[in-house]
Amino acid sequence: MIYLDNAATTCPNARAGLRAASFLTENFYNPSARYHGGVCVARETDAARNELLGFVADPEKFDLIFTSCGTESDNQAVFSCAKRGNAVTDAGEHAAIRSAFSELKNRGVEPRIAPVNSDGSVNTEALLHLVDEKTSFVSVMHVNNETGAVNDIRTLARLVKAKNPRAVFHSDGVQAYGRIPVRLTEEIDLYSVSAHKIGALKGTGALMKRKKFPLSPFLYGGGQEGNLRSGTENTYGIAYFRYAAEEKFASLSADGARLSGYREMLWELLEKPLFARLSPENGSPYILTVSAVGLRGEVLQRKLWDAGLAIGTGSACNSKKPHSPVLEACGWDGKTLDGALRASFSPETTEEEIVRAAELMNAAVREMKEVTG
Amino acid sequence: MDGAEKVIIIRYAEIHLKGKNRGYFERVFTVNLERSLKGIRHELHRTSGRYLVAKFEPDMAEEIMSRISRVFGVHSYSLALCVAADMGEIYAAAKAVAPACGTFKVETHRADKKFPRTSMEINAEIGGRLLSENKMLKVDVHEPQSLVYIDVRENGTALVFGKFSEGSGGMPVGTSGKGLLLISGGIDSPVAGYMMAKRGMNVEYLHFHSYPYTNEQAKDKVIELGKILGRYSGTAKLVTASVTHIQEEIHKKCAAELNVTLLRRFMFRIAERVARRQKDQCLITGESLGQVASQTIEGITSSNAVVTLPVLRPLIGFDKNEIITISKKIGTYETSVLPFEDCCTVFLPDFPAIKPKLSFIEEEEKKLDVEALVEESVRALEVIDL
Repeated sequence: MIYLDNAATTCPNARAGLRAASFLTENFYNPSARYHGGVCVARETDAARNELLGFVADPEKFDLIFTSCGTESDNQAVFSCAKRGNAVTDAGEHAAIRSAFSELKNRGVEPRIAPVNSDGSVNTEALLHLVDEKTSFVSVMHVNNETGAVNDIRTLARLVKAKNPRAVFHSDGVQAYGRIPVRLTEEIDLYSVSAHKIGALKGTGALMKRKKFPLSPFLYGGGQEGNLRSGTENTYGIAYFRYAAEEKFASLSADGARLSGYREMLWELLEKPLFARLSPENGSPYILTVSAVGLRGEVLQRKLWDAGLAIGTGSACNSKKPHSPVLEACGWDGKTLDGALRASFSPETTEEEIVRAAELMNAAVREMKEVTG
Repeated sequence: MDGAEKVIIIRYAEIHLKGKNRGYFERVFTVNLERSLKGIRHELHRTSGRYLVAKFEPDMAEEIMSRISRVFGVHSYSLALCVAADMGEIYAAAKAVAPACGTFKVETHRADKKFPRTSMEINAEIGGRLLSENKMLKVDVHEPQSLVYIDVRENGTALVFGKFSEGSGGMPVGTSGKGLLLISGGIDSPVAGYMMAKRGMNVEYLHFHSYPYTNEQAKDKVIELGKILGRYSGTAKLVTASVTHIQEEIHKKCAAELNVTLLRRFMFRIAERVARRQKDQCLITGESLGQVASQTIEGITSSNAVVTLPVLRPLIGFDKNEIITISKKIGTYETSVLPFEDCCTVFLPDFPAIKPKLSFIEEEEKKLDVEALVEESVRALEVIDL
């Protein structure tokens, strides 16, 4: 099976699993325990925290709290900060932000949604136009999970703060962390990441925050994670996250360059006009979204699985709806939306797989055109 | 009344009508009751004209009644206290089941004619004591709000209870043969299966899919529906058949407006093969006259023309909302409305023929290798034990 759905989840890195395995056996202790075994686990968890943070931010200036997933991190950011006035985001966000913003209405905060450009990146001017003195929270994702478009969050954060210094700036970095170069600046208050997108496990995420930033807890209990995220830490998942991230960051730029090449190679190999391109050329090297215009992406997806290729349609989280609301917001017509397919790569992806994937995609589309056309 | 044993009385519905076959019907009914209580410790006794479930953990009473309520052939059931046939014990039990206020009446049935008091005397004594101890109660022998029943049995015990709960009625499943239900995953076909099971028919299921145009969740949904129906009809078997190639061929070669009509004829042909193979005596569908384009009398005629087995359509005269009401009652509705496609919209024509002429249908069908396509589908059947 050729796996090109790495934006949905990645195959866990077995080496990282082996290194983390002791947390399932001899180091199973509760990190809150005061005896030596517990203290050792707590030290390791803190070491993981510093290392995971250090890859993208200055640990002197930022903290990291472990959560259960990217969605939890996003939700904690939204509901901890958007408590008055209005909150601003864009139509390209993941459901974790979009649904949380819908909920804001019920909590007396006005959600404001900025439009996106056709590649899924935020329309900066429109976003800034929505920010005013009553804005308490702004959230803009770093890499769009459906198109791969990259938002320049450092510049956006600076512009937002220039307009309203009290507005909190958050970014969902789930598709960026461990894939593209990231350096958090002090204008970015909060940043969400997830472990299973970079070869670690589902069920582990993190929320990075500027030091002294007044975040509120989402879960109350034993006071773990500096009282910001109660619940016994997933020590195995955290260790796994650390070791998988070590590998990812060690080869980040080399992988990026190679995968950009693969992304363009796949696009070159896909037959035109059978396919139209929805992803930008300057987007994440990890994502290429195309459309087999007029066909149904979901049917192609199942045909391709049977032929040995796993590939995405829109975002896996909203595959029960007919069209991806994000791609819809990009302004594509119904037939283009119907046929959307997302190929997403990992450093394990090979050139042979790209070539074979293109063959399979071309064949499936030709075959389906013949039957249904 | 902590010490009294809880028992459940089950009264059956139409079995008593069956004259000489009564023994057979009762045996099947017993098996069905036992099957419904599988996994729960209990004893099931047959007594004169009814059944008694006894020796279960008191906490399980609700679960047992819920399961029994779904067994066809059950007319009604009651949770009762079983005590020694002694006036003191009977009174204590009667007090436990009596209402806290309002009007009531005591009704006694005395099978043990040697019991020292007559039914009327028991009614008067127990009723009188209940009245004198609870000033909120009042007797009304004509239209009481509540009843207290006392059943003095021949074995030295008495059953005391306050309520009759309605069962599912119908006939024990297995006493009216075996049929094959064409189940789509929508609202209607599970209800059709339920109706036939209610009349005592063993129902097996056949589901058509057009993977990869339809998805795997659609099949999971049918499996789930089969399991829900299984709570009424007992264990069952689901057969799935692919009609993908058939649909592709029809789409390529035949008049678009006949897509659905032709597909249904293929489905009926395949269904008949499956039915004969597993000894089902009829086909069952959820069709309701005029509900959709293919369910007109012309559409039904065209489908019937390709099979010889009888096709039972228990919902033929039902309105959609009547079907939905039953679907909600039997618990299939929530699953039926899950948004997975059960028929391929890729091939759905804009204007399906509402009154297709048989001659035109047969003409169009000649463009296809019917036998080979049916054979191909039958060869690839998948059988799932639910």
